[in-house]
Amino acid sequence: MLLTEKESKSITDKILSYVKADDASVGAGSEKLSHLRFAQNTFLTSGQRESRNANITVWIGGKRGTSSTNDLDDASLKSMVEEAERIAKLAPIDREYLPTLGKQTYKPVNSYVEATANISLTNRAKAIGDIISECEKTKVIGAGFHVARAQTSAFATKNGNFGFEPTTSVSLSMTARTADGQSSGYFLRSHFDVARLDTQRIAREAVRKALEGRNAKTIEPGVYTVILEPQAVADLIGNIAFGFDARNAEEGRSAYSAPGGKTRLSEKIFDERISIYSDPWNAELPGSPSAQAGLPAQRIYLIKNGVLENLVYSRFWAKQATKEPTAGPVNTIMETTAPISTAEEMIRSTKRGILISRFWYIRSTDPRTASLTGLTRDGVWFIENGKIQYPVKNFRFNQSITQMLAPGNVEMVGASERVGGSEGGNASLLPTLKLKAFNFTSQSEAV
Amino acid sequence: MSFSRRDFIKTAGLTLGALTLPSWIYEAQAATNATIDVNKNNLADAALSTAKKLGADYADIRINRYRLEAVSTRERQVQNVSSGQNFGFGVRVLVKGTWGFAASPIMTAAEVVRVTGEAVAIARANSVFQRRKIELAPVNKVSATWKSSFQKDPFEVPVDDKIQFLLKLNEAALAVKGVSFVNSSMAWVNEQKFLATSDGSRIEQYLIRGNPSFTVTAADRASGDFQTRNSLIEAQSAGYEYIENTDWLGDIKTAAEEAVMKLKAKTVEPGKYDLILHPSHLFLTIHESVGHPTELDRALLWEANYAGTSFLTPEKTGKLQFGSKIVNFVADRTQPKGLATVAYDDEGVEAQKWHLVKDGTFVDWQTTRDLAPLIGKNKSYGCLHADSWGSVPFPRMPNVSLEPAKSNVTTENLIGDVEKGIMIFGRGSYSIDQQRYNFQFGGQTFWEIKNGKVAGMLRDVAYQSRTTDFWGACDGLGGQSTYLIPGTFNDGKGEPGQSNAVSHGCPSARFRGINVLNTAAKTQS
Repeated sequence: MLLTEKESKSITDKILSYVKADDASVGAGSEKLSHLRFAQNTFLTSGQRESRNANITVWIGGKRGTSSTNDLDDASLKSMVEEAERIAKLAPIDREYLPTLGKQTYKPVNSYVEATANISLTNRAKAIGDIISECEKTKVIGAGFHVARAQTSAFATKNGNFGFEPTTSVSLSMTARTADGQSSGYFLRSHFDVARLDTQRIAREAVRKALEGRNAKTIEPGVYTVILEPQAVADLIGNIAFGFDARNAEEGRSAYSAPGGKTRLSEKIFDERISIYSDPWNAELPGSPSAQAGLPAQRIYLIKNGVLENLVYSRFWAKQATKEPTAGPVNTIMETTAPISTAEEMIRSTKRGILISRFWYIRSTDPRTASLTGLTRDGVWFIENGKIQYPVKNFRFNQSITQMLAPGNVEMVGASERVGGSEGGNASLLPTLKLKAFNFTSQSEAV
Repeated sequence: MSFSRRDFIKTAGLTLGALTLPSWIYEAQAATNATIDVNKNNLADAALSTAKKLGADYADIRINRYRLEAVSTRERQVQNVSSGQNFGFGVRVLVKGTWGFAASPIMTAAEVVRVTGEAVAIARANSVFQRRKIELAPVNKVSATWKSSFQKDPFEVPVDDKIQFLLKLNEAALAVKGVSFVNSSMAWVNEQKFLATSDGSRIEQYLIRGNPSFTVTAADRASGDFQTRNSLIEAQSAGYEYIENTDWLGDIKTAAEEAVMKLKAKTVEPGKYDLILHPSHLFLTIHESVGHPTELDRALLWEANYAGTSFLTPEKTGKLQFGSKIVNFVADRTQPKGLATVAYDDEGVEAQKWHLVKDGTFVDWQTTRDLAPLIGKNKSYGCLHADSWGSVPFPRMPNVSLEPAKSNVTTENLIGDVEKGIMIFGRGSYSIDQQRYNFQFGGQTFWEIKNGKVAGMLRDVAYQSRTTDFWGACDGLGGQSTYLIPGTFNDGKGEPGQSNAVSHGCPSARFRGINVLNTAAKTQS
């Protein structure tokens, strides 16, 4: 059902053969998604969806129109092209139009595994069945979601470019709750290779957090030193590499804008222990080999040792600013060049602080300072004199991210590992972070 | 027998009699899909008979088409105009008390048979490890067609008219001194849904909904400050008349002035305030603090791994004081203009209206056929929904609305009785915990109230509260004249994640002594 490269090329060629417009950019994709959801230690829904799609954007005399369809027969593709051209004729001039790219060369990435694309139903059912048995044995109530996805994405332009990207991903997230409803643990991991997804570790960690989180105490909200596990970092800033838009910064409406119509480029805005970059060829976190508009993706730094190294220029904005368009980002990798600390070392060095597993329902409250609100969830522990003392109830926080990562507020950084946001978003490579100050504004009795 | 898609539509029209689809759709589909076998009743027969033959105790098939059109602009230029369509089917089966589902866009009988077999295979593989069998509440067999209420089909309105409308809005905003940027857009969705179940129901529904919106930005480049004001008018189940009969121009002119005003507005002093919440703001508070916790799947831990559970539990039904005595919430899938309004849900249960909170007491739940038996009920309230042919249907929120005061209380009446307060308009930042106790909401504009009068604009406002404390603090409701029915176009829930459109009718309302914080305050000491 997934489109092969040859089939995809045939479709994009066919679409382009129908184009009468001056310029065109087309896409053809396919997806196979298979999931199993469980809760209350029993199976809920499980299903498989196969889908495919095609889309086109055309320009006629600089006017633009876009159309899409999931019918890939000749008549539907032709109709899609005609619809886009009809729209383009009605539209005003697209002042941001730039000719589509000609032929590009993409250095391949390894992000597709056949066993992930064709996951075994019986193996999956047994793996989840085993997890439910473990929940029953440890007297917790388990809920979780196993999902495997295979996708192909092809793109082409009237000016001769073509690219084809097959990818797979598989993830398991699990929540364990104690029977009295007073404690909850969560763990999520993903990979592009199903053989690398450790389902037993995921279940074990979720159950451990639930059991160790029993008898949580209430402590006052306020400013605390915190240790954020990679999941908590992912929930807060998992896709941070995608937030460095040059246009927003230069138009004065971003946390990276500076007074006087300037930007904060080249300023040390984050602690020197923090570097953030994008790398399509990272073996653990392969990204798309193509960036915006089909530019071959490159390894690019957004933050290097705390300094704002790059803002991201779209092709249009780069032309306005007489700069090169940015060949990324395609993923988020946060690392440190400082010595790496383990979570245990971070705890041992903490006089008074809080260990946080996960955040939830995070929303922006002030884009000027990248301020967010949200809550802790599924595992919070109070640390005193270098030891975890006891679990505590959840908090709401209000926290500026630029202040959180500012020079002096990042005390220790762990090794990066692959983790995805629990509220959605792509997986990233992120470390455990120890932060000097983090602002909790109220308590939440939610479990 | 193979049918063309033109035949499919004609046959469906004859079979279903009462359905009246606009003529354009015959032409569009016939033109684009002339050769595909899509006799949906034949496909339904193939799915249901295959499921039965393979041992399914229950099966349904949904054959759905979605049409989408979106126009977006910024300042004096069009950013994008797009249109798309999406067509396919999904088969759901219950085998040995275990659900299985499979979906495909290939509309042939052979594919339906193959996909039904896949759904059964998935259910059968999982049933080996199943701990508790799914049971379904009974439902009446139905044969029906239905069309949502709209006067002017937005897909028939020329794109150029939409572009000109949005650019006119932008021009009105840019005419206000101090406005730096403006974005505006409109999105339209048309769902054509066909459902056939092994209980014998065949239901066809045709829905249209729209989501126009804008954002005006005022940036002070010298200081590096910027403020935005979004539209206060929200998405609705309506046709293009919603554009033509609503004062969008008035709202964007006000928005432009208010965005500029926000740059100079007084920052709020944190503390306790009485709040007057306009329906353009209150609807989202209702959505998060009332709509979600009364979903029975959350209370029964089905959403524990994602959206969360609920502070409400079945034993609290009829007992828990949810709010003050004047607070009444109705769930209503029949409410005019409601985004979640349908005739039947996605398993053929008729749309209904019922109380969730009555005279301040929590009294009932949102249910589906597989949820109702778990609390001893023998009928579903019809809350099953899928956002696509390729998505597994699961419990989703109906319109949940706050009843207005029976007397003609105005917003001014509510303000008049406030010594120290804030009135809030519009949807802002919103966050609530996984059991729906603790929430924090911002807004678009904030107005200080002193001694019963509006004293001026505030900024950086958010309020934090606990759901039952908050609704317990409600001591004033506006009458019908203050009632609006705003809605949200994309409410996320479930795994795999799905989007639902839902409305929340409400009047202006007053809440006493709510904790307000300043979101711009330096947070670290």
